[in-house]
Formats: sequence, structure tokens, C-alpha cells
Amino acid sequence: MGFIEIRNLLKRFGKVVAVDHISLEIEKGEIITLLGPSGCGKTTTLRCIAGLERPDEGDVVIDGRPMFSQGFVPPSKRGIGMVFQNYAVWPHMRIFDNVAYGLKLARLPKREIRQRVQETLELVGLGGLEHRYPTQLSGGQQQRVALARALTRNPKVLLLDEPLSNLDAKLREKMRFEIQGLVKRMHITAVYVTHDQAEAMVISDRVAVMNQGQIVQVGPPEEIYHRPATKFVADFIGVTNFISGVVTEVDEDRAEAILEADFGRVRCGVLALDAVAPGRQATASVRPEDVEVVEGAGERENTFRGTVLHRVYLGNILYLFVKLGETSLRVQAHSAMPYREGDEIRVHLAPARTIIIRE
Amino acid sequence: MGNRASAAGTKGAGGARLRLPLYDLSRGEILLSLILWAVVGLFILYPLFFLILESFKIAGTDRFGIQNYLDFFRDSYYLKAFGNTLLLGVLVLATTTLIGLPAAYILARYRIRGKTVFTALTLLPIVLPAYAGAFAFIVFFGKWGTVNLLLMEWGIISEPLNFIYGLQGLVFIQSLHLLPFIVLSLLAGFTNIDPSLEEAAEVEGAGGIRRFFTITLPLATPSYFAGAVLVFLWPFTDWLTPIILGQVDYLPSIAYINIAYHFTDVYRKYMGIVSVVVAAVICVGMFLTLRRWIERKKYTALSKGTALEGRTIVPGPLARLISYLYMGFISVLVLIIPVVLGLSAFSRRWVFEPFPTYWTLENFEVIFFDTPQLLMNSLRFSGIALLFGVTFGLAVAYLLTRTRAPGKNALDFISTILLVFPGIAIGVSFLLAFWRTIPIATHWIIMPLALFVRRTPYFLRMAHASYLQLDPSLEEASEISGAGKLKTFFSISLPLLLKGIFVGVIMFFIMAFQEISTAVFLYRGGWETLPIGIYLNWHRGMEFGIAAAMAFFMVVLVFVLLLIAARVGGGILNVAWGAGGRRE
Repeated sequence: MGFIEIRNLLKRFGKVVAVDHISLEIEKGEIITLLGPSGCGKTTTLRCIAGLERPDEGDVVIDGRPMFSQGFVPPSKRGIGMVFQNYAVWPHMRIFDNVAYGLKLARLPKREIRQRVQETLELVGLGGLEHRYPTQLSGGQQQRVALARALTRNPKVLLLDEPLSNLDAKLREKMRFEIQGLVKRMHITAVYVTHDQAEAMVISDRVAVMNQGQIVQVGPPEEIYHRPATKFVADFIGVTNFISGVVTEVDEDRAEAILEADFGRVRCGVLALDAVAPGRQATASVRPEDVEVVEGAGERENTFRGTVLHRVYLGNILYLFVKLGETSLRVQAHSAMPYREGDEIRVHLAPARTIIIRE
Repeated sequence: MGNRASAAGTKGAGGARLRLPLYDLSRGEILLSLILWAVVGLFILYPLFFLILESFKIAGTDRFGIQNYLDFFRDSYYLKAFGNTLLLGVLVLATTTLIGLPAAYILARYRIRGKTVFTALTLLPIVLPAYAGAFAFIVFFGKWGTVNLLLMEWGIISEPLNFIYGLQGLVFIQSLHLLPFIVLSLLAGFTNIDPSLEEAAEVEGAGGIRRFFTITLPLATPSYFAGAVLVFLWPFTDWLTPIILGQVDYLPSIAYINIAYHFTDVYRKYMGIVSVVVAAVICVGMFLTLRRWIERKKYTALSKGTALEGRTIVPGPLARLISYLYMGFISVLVLIIPVVLGLSAFSRRWVFEPFPTYWTLENFEVIFFDTPQLLMNSLRFSGIALLFGVTFGLAVAYLLTRTRAPGKNALDFISTILLVFPGIAIGVSFLLAFWRTIPIATHWIIMPLALFVRRTPYFLRMAHASYLQLDPSLEEASEISGAGKLKTFFSISLPLLLKGIFVGVIMFFIMAFQEISTAVFLYRGGWETLPIGIYLNWHRGMEFGIAAAMAFFMVVLVFVLLLIAARVGGGILNVAWGAGGRRE
């Protein structure tokens, strides 16, 4: 039993199906990220958990209590905290009143409110700014106010809707670690929505990749990155190369297959054996860092000869675009390597990291 | 929201259950929706239904038929009045366009000193009651008015010229009153044009005049028509100006006279009611047709709207001189209204003299001490109407922007239509509907209720706009924090909306305070408002000074309120935009 259970959730807007029968279990204390391109339904899912949208079908269960099926539980009664994309800090209230708002509604004694607001503001690094108005704060500080407001009531669940997307790159990176640290320290169950895969990698215990209203893959960041379930996941997370061809052999015991591509026979790993069969078309994904430039002689399996089409120098990294047959492969090489456009080189594809995936 | 309902009806991938369209609403929102519909039903739809029903009644029987309409369109007198009204509409539109086009261009494009003052003065008539202008111009341009007397004194003419008693006067007075609509809509059209569009034409080699006619004017056309339709329709709603000028052969004036004075003459009564319905149908029909056309043609939405101000040019010395003269001329015409009213207000026995010679405060004594009831009634009725209007407007705006309530668009539609709905139509329909079946017309509450219905759009538009600008996540954050919807409204939404709706509050009050077209059908002894007082004082042929003093007082009040609104609402243009609001 998960702490939050999303059961067969369906939400339509007019004729558009925003969330298409999603199910997901979230463990207590876990940080899970809903990751996907805009319009994939991740925010709608989050808003259903918050109670800001009502699903057309399905239910959300928080801590054993159904939020929709046995009478609608309004957002105010769900005991959640939420950080909005645009902060949603109330401009007509001082920082103190913003953070204290929920505590005042809960009719806590004045002294306790003061103390808890103080503590939370210290926690997010805004101590001493209680009497400022939001317009006197920077974007990053407003973000922290929003976070403090969401945390003061010690919510069971914290929902974060692209909370860092309005910050500049440097601050964004810093806040990722801060949010992650805070949530872990307070043992809160958090659902984090973002379209930034790097953010998802850093912050989450598990990532749920969404596309067109559905969850395509759920798993820890490493798994999502190295063992993408579908072409969409492989493409959306990081950079990858696709190799298409026909499967000629399948070794079920070792979970491997041979893919006949236009530039040669490639030995690949297989994630879903049911998706491959000899004679069938298939696509393999291999990341640029899993393609090795072979220097010196010596024959090895999965090694192919090709021509350098472009070189892109990024300082710490050198990308070589290598033409193998009709396929162009992006290869991550050491920046010290001397190759130029037109050079003939050999590349090796690691079989364990060259993976046949579902379309 | 038929959209939603039909979507729920179609079979989804998983064989979706049917959802009631109310599913997304909280219980409070459903209740709110029902209350609003009850208000609209009782105070807008029901009277309207009654008016239309009455127009089909066959005199002297209980049966219904189209007899009245046949009579109306067969009677050459009513046909003539209909034609006169159309003609007046065309003439007024042509005049305002000719005068307004250069004014709008100068205000939109030229960087000249005193632009704010010129803009404010050009737009002032929009908030002044039409009858104030009519009175002022009678005194100034009338047969024995200041201009004629001066001209005779100087020996330029020997007989007084007829400046205003007749079609020419009507065109003149209504044009001045309606000029702001044209100027505002053209101004909006000109300033909304992305400067790069005109610059591109310049780069392509189009000179000033060519650029204006091939680029600027076509791009501003949809905006222009939004104002033009209101100008054209005005003669179908203004009954008082023709009567003041001694012209009755216009649709709304006939309607008023027939219904107000000949209620016992069944034929004239029904012709009056038919006139009202015909005028209303023309107003609503033209307004809707044009609105659809404009929505299809909105070019301005195409560009990214980077510059708020549009393009401005520093004019050459000649253009500058012409601009000053032109704007000065318009400003003087507008200023005649408050100045002449002021002169009359502080004087008595101003006849056969170019300027008054006997100065006194007696007129104001009458207003404030002899008959304070009028002022009190105006304040009370407008104040209560304002209360209704604000509550209704905020509730509708909430429903429109924050819920998927079924039928909310219909609610908005009906409220918008009221912008062009003739005041006499509302007055007559209230009179008919709330007489016997639901007898509210015997209680003074009918007055604020009628004012509320008549002026509702003025506040609703501002409330709607303010709500659109209020980020919903501010309210959602409050709900997440544990506040219910009502608590959220009062502690988050209302304080943040306040600035935006304040301008709406003032505009509503100004427009309710000067309302006469609806009120004149409904008032009884003791319920007279200031505008009715003005009308009666003039009508009874009593000293004109009292009417003028009342009108002057209203002008001053409007002016003060406008200044406050401008201060709060960020500039006179912003305020006027909201007010001019009859556009779009």
C-alpha cells in the first residue's frame, strides 16, 4: 500500500484527455517526480492530488483516505502543502502573514504561530525578512517564501509544480539540492512536477515519465536513464542515438539479440524479450558516452568503421558525429582527441548499453 | 458550456461514465449559479418577455397576433419616424467619424504638450449626461442664445439663426456627446498597431499619407467599428435630446410620449411599445452582428504587442499648429457644456442677454434646502443599485473566470447585451412586468433595481477584467493552506481585486446617478431623482436656472469622481477605456 495511491485517474478538458487512466503508488517519505513535456498531463495529475481539479474517473487515496470516490475532499481539508510555478505569494501580505496564513486558519495560539513561522523562515534561509512585502524580495526569495508557506503546517504531502522554472540557471541548481535536503529532513512525501530531466534526476527517488496523458515508465533515475522502456523515454531523458535494423538472433538466457543494421551486425541488450523476435524490425538506443572511440588495432565485436562528419567542442567534452553506413552516431569522446572532419575512425558500442527498446 | 456536456457524452477510451456538467462545481458554486440565474431571470428575462408579449397583444382582446407590428409598419407616421432615426444615426456617425479621425490620430501619434488634457476633454462627454449638453447648447446656440445675441449685437446678422432646433442641432449635439466613442475606439485601434507594421511600410517606401490609408487605417478598422456601432445606435435609444430640441419624430421619443402621456389611448400605447421593441431589436441585432464580424477580423491580435504605446511621431511645426488648433476647437466645444451650465446655475433671469447679469446662489438653495429629497433619492437609489451591481458583478465575474459552470457564457452574454439595450426598453418592460403579477413597482426598491439592471455592464466588465488579471494560483494557494472558498474570496481575492474594481464602482455610480431613460417610467411622487428633477424643471418651463444648477452639480460630481478614479486607476485613459467600455 502506497502512502499516496493514484487509481485509474482520468481527466478530460472538453474533448482533450489530459490524464488517461493513470495509476501510481507513492511510498511514504518518497520524492517522486512526474516528468514529461508540456501538455503530458503531469500538472493535471498533481492538481488532482491537490484537489484543484476533479477527475472524471478514478480516485486519489492519501494515507488510506479516498479523496474523490467517497465524497470530494476539498483542497483545504487534505493536509497538503503546495508550491506553485509562479510562487503565488500573496502580494498584499507581509512575509510573516503569508507563511502564517494556514496556521491562523488552524487557530493555533499566537505564540506558537510566531514560533513556527520563525523556524520555517530560518529553515528556508529567510530569517529576519518577516516584515517585508513580497514585492521587496527577489524571485529566489519569493520562491523560498512559497516553500516556507507550504511547509509550516507540517503537511503529510508536499506538491511542487515546476517550482524552479522561473529562476535563473545558477539559482535553480542550488535550489534543487536545498529542496531535496529539506524534504528529506522533514520526512515528507513529495510529488514534484517538472519538464527538466536534470532536475528530476537530482531531486527524486523515483521518476515517473509521462507522455500524452499516460505514465510511460516509473523507476529510479539510473534505471530510467540506462534502461529506458520506450523510444520516447530514451529520447526525452538525456541524449541518445537510435539504431534501427532487423533482429536476426535472440539469446533469451543472456537477454541479448543481434540487430542487423545497415552498417553491420550489432549485439544488443534486450529489456523486453516479448518485443523482439528474429525477422522483426527493432530499434536500439545507445548513449553517446556508451560509444567508445577505438584507438589502435585489434578486432572486437560491435566495432565499426566510420567517418567523422562534424566535431563539436564543448570544453570538457568533444562530440563527434560519426557516419556509419546511413546512420549518424553521436559519440562522446575525450576533448583531447585530435580527430577532424573527414577522419576515418573506429567505434565500439558496449553491448550491455546498446539496448533494444519498444517503439 | 455545451462543449463540456457534449464531451462528457461521447464515449471515451475506457467507456467513460456520464458526468453531470455540474460535477466540477462545489455546492456553493452551484448555489451561486442558481441565485444569479434567478436574478437574471426575474429582473432581465422576465420583464423582457413581458414587453415582447405585450407588443403582440391585440388591443381590446386577450388574443395575441402581429397586428400591432402590421399597424406600425403601415402607418406612414411611424415609418417616417423610423426613417428619421436611421438618418440621424447615419449623420451622427458620419459627423463623429469626420471629426474624430484627425483627433484620434493626433492623440495617438503626435507627441504634443497637453496631450493628457486634450484627451481628457475630448473624452469628457462620455460621462456627462446627454441632456446636460442639450441644455447648455440651447442656452448658447439657441434662437435667443448667446451666439445669436452676440452676432446681432455686432451687426453681423439681423435675424437670429436657427442653429439647433432641428435635425442639424440634433446631429450637432449627439455628435459631440458620442465623439468619445469614436475617438476612443480609433485611439485603441491606432495604439494597438505594432509599430513594426508601420515601420515595415516605411521601409518599403510608403509615404505618410499612403501609409495611413493602406496600413494604419485598415488595421484600426475593426476597433473603429466597435465604437461606430454604438454611435449609430444611439439615436435609437436617446429619447430626451430630440424632445428637448422640440423634435419628436424619432423612434424613442415617440415611444416615450406614447407610453408616458397616452397610456389610455390603446392604439398609441401599443405603437409606443412596438417602437420600443423595434428600437431594442435593432440595437441588439446590429450590435451582435457587428461583434461577430469584429471578432473574425481582429488583426491586432496577430502581432505580439510588444510596445504598449504604439508609434509616436514628433510633428513638424505646421502639423503641430494644426493639431493645437484642432484639439483646441474640440476642447472649447466640450467646455461650453460645463461653462454655460455654470453660468446658468449661478444666475437667474438670463434671457435676451448674451451673458447673465443677475448672479445668485438661489438655484443651489433650491437643490440643497428646498427640495433636498431629489438629491437624497439620487444618492440612495444609486447607492443601493451600486450595492446590487457590485455583488452581482463580482459573482458573475467569479463564475466566468473561476468555474466551468454550465450556462455561464449565457449569463455573460445577457449582461453584455444590456450595454446597448435602450433605457426606455428597460423602463417600459419593468413598468409592464412589475405592475400586477409581481407588484414591486409600487415600492421604491424598483428604482435601484432598475438602475442596477440598466448599468450592470459598467461594473461587470471591470470586475471581469480584474478577475482575469488575478492569478488563480493565488487563490489556490489559499485553499491549499486550509481556507474555504468564501474565506479565500474575502482574504485573498477581494483585497487584490480592489484597485481594479474601484474604477468600476465609480463608473457604475456615475452612470447610475445620471440615469433618466429607465427611471422616468418608474418614478412616482416622492421618488424623483436629480435627473428627473432636471427634466421636470425644464418641462414645466420653470426657471431654467434650477435645471441648470442641478445639471451643473452633476457635472461637478462626475468630474470629481473621475479624478478620483483616474488617480486610483492609473490615468484618465485607463478609466475612460473602462467607461468607454461600451465597446467590444
